[in-house]
Amino acid sequence: MDALNYFLMTWLDPQLLLLTALGTMAGIYIGAIPGLSVTMAVSILISFTFSWEVNDALALMVGIYMGGVYGGSRTAILLNIPGAPSAIATAMDGYPMAQKGEAGNAIGLSTVMSVIGGFLGIFVLAVGAPFVSEFALTFQPRDYLLLAVMGILLVGSLSGESLAKGVFAGALGVLIGTVGLDPLTAEERFTFGITELWNGISPVAVMIGLFGVSEALNQLHYLNVKAVTQNVTKIIPSWKDVKKYLPLSLQTSGIGVVIGALPGTGGDIAALMAYDHAKRVTKNPEVPFGKGAKEGLVGAETANNAAVGGAYIPMLTLGIPGDAVTAVFIGALFIHGLNPGPLLLVEKPEMFWFTVGNLTLANCFLLIFGLTGIKVFTKIVELPKATLIPLILLLSIVGAYAINNSVADIWWMLGFGVLGYVMKHYGYQVGPVILGVILSRLMDDNWRRAIISDQESIPMLFANLFKSPLSVVLFLAVVFLLLSQTPVWGWLKGLLGRRRNAT
Amino acid sequence: METHPDVHKLKLHPGESVFGWLMLLFSLFAFYQSYQIAGFSSLSSPGSLPMAASAIMVLAACMVVVGNFSRPPPDEGGLKVFLAQVFPYTVAVFCGLILLFAVMLNSLGFILTAFLFLFSSMWFLQKRGVIPALLLALVSIVLVYIVFRLVFQVVLPEGIVPERDIMAAIGRFFKGSTP
Repeated sequence: MDALNYFLMTWLDPQLLLLTALGTMAGIYIGAIPGLSVTMAVSILISFTFSWEVNDALALMVGIYMGGVYGGSRTAILLNIPGAPSAIATAMDGYPMAQKGEAGNAIGLSTVMSVIGGFLGIFVLAVGAPFVSEFALTFQPRDYLLLAVMGILLVGSLSGESLAKGVFAGALGVLIGTVGLDPLTAEERFTFGITELWNGISPVAVMIGLFGVSEALNQLHYLNVKAVTQNVTKIIPSWKDVKKYLPLSLQTSGIGVVIGALPGTGGDIAALMAYDHAKRVTKNPEVPFGKGAKEGLVGAETANNAAVGGAYIPMLTLGIPGDAVTAVFIGALFIHGLNPGPLLLVEKPEMFWFTVGNLTLANCFLLIFGLTGIKVFTKIVELPKATLIPLILLLSIVGAYAINNSVADIWWMLGFGVLGYVMKHYGYQVGPVILGVILSRLMDDNWRRAIISDQESIPMLFANLFKSPLSVVLFLAVVFLLLSQTPVWGWLKGLLGRRRNAT
Repeated sequence: METHPDVHKLKLHPGESVFGWLMLLFSLFAFYQSYQIAGFSSLSSPGSLPMAASAIMVLAACMVVVGNFSRPPPDEGGLKVFLAQVFPYTVAVFCGLILLFAVMLNSLGFILTAFLFLFSSMWFLQKRGVIPALLLALVSIVLVYIVFRLVFQVVLPEGIVPERDIMAAIGRFFKGSTP
């Protein structure tokens, strides 16, 4: 009964209701406008909502997350520019549909499918998270360490140019996270005698630099790209279509939740895998894939919204982010004094059910805003870059400053902004950096707990590791992730293949 | 699930190999610094995670540097190409503007600094003359002010603009006009 009360909190409080609605609508535009991203918006909002009640802040951010994941599809369909990475797969069939004059149809279908995916993701979160959380109570420190390493490796290996660059970025993030006084012994780490560094580098400044400033600087390269306007008519999809694609949408939503729930993988990968699945199971598409197949649109759009609910599972139950956006969310929860982890559901069940209710509400608003206001939308997306970029930068600067009222954080933001800009140019991803920064403390604590409880001996650590099935599975997953990206894997595969051929 | 299969055949970007070397140097420096924290005294020392992280960075940076050797060289032209493709002057101008913002914020106050920032950057990007940029910057700063100070209630340095007096005067004006 309590759970239902907490669940309905957002629905019954007018202020929270309004904030969620506002967040969802803003999220759709943020997700849609190329150059603005959910990660960027949430990083900046962390510091603006710093003084707010935690529920108000979360209502707004959850709305932005839900809306933003969907919003990317709009520009993917209309302009062939995925507004967010999770909409890359949407562009493959959405844009061809728009070219044929079916932009309205594509937007309507993707809205309904996003909402279906979203609901499924939330359902799995509501049902699954309490189990995961209970299970997580039995996790050993080494399991947390392995999970964190796995998350960073997954982000590093799936998104970048090469594993080496991804691993480099992740390790850099971990290193940045250790700057300051050691929380256990108060020993100085990388402070170079500067007392201002005792508290470490503000993760928010790092996030805003890497996601806000670096992206704004990057957009300076595309100042003169002209937007193509599409004629958008009727967008409410036909019931026939929705019914026809319902079985497929449930399958692809399932893929989305699972991929979203894996630490380190989020909506972008979920969408690509679901697209691939849709392509495999659709034997005779009306229109070929890549030329405007509705199945492709369904697959991608259900999966990326289903991944939102999925990504919340490891975030709330283990304190391990599912991707860059959830890493930023964990940062936000920390700032509001919440400690995501297995104890969150026990100590603060209201927080969990509040979030579930909030997500559900945001998903409902998504349906409303997704099927209306398309005329205004096409105008706003054409906002010139020359106006947009200065505004993003101003928001970033104020966001970095406001978190501690310190000009030093603007320097950090600028430094990381330039670093992120250069890194992106040379094929390094910035996602693993932020994951590293957020996970650094967790890794540090758990490594030291693990090794102290095993009497500072590596052989003993491994001996105990192999006694626990969970640790073994996680350890093998990490080893597999590393090997699968190196030449050793190809060599092994070749060896196996030859043996199979011989027999 | 494979990462870029042809990554070794991709042409290097201008400055990429230099960046690889710089990252390697930085990683080595970070490793040395991590070693300074507690040396190899114990596995649970405050320096253990920094050392592990920086050691991994050194390894990964080495792999990147070695990998770069087998990739085709970047477009000819040296610094000029680097500036054109990677670091165009617009990027430098914006970094400069942010620097100026940080320097001036505490003395000039938020409103004036933000207005100057918006005006100069919009004027620079639009290249449509002073008046449109001025108007746009004015509209933006009013919106930004409303959002930051009144909605989000972010505390920002006041500087030389007597912001509180102005707000109080506006408040008095509205109070006075209502009977």
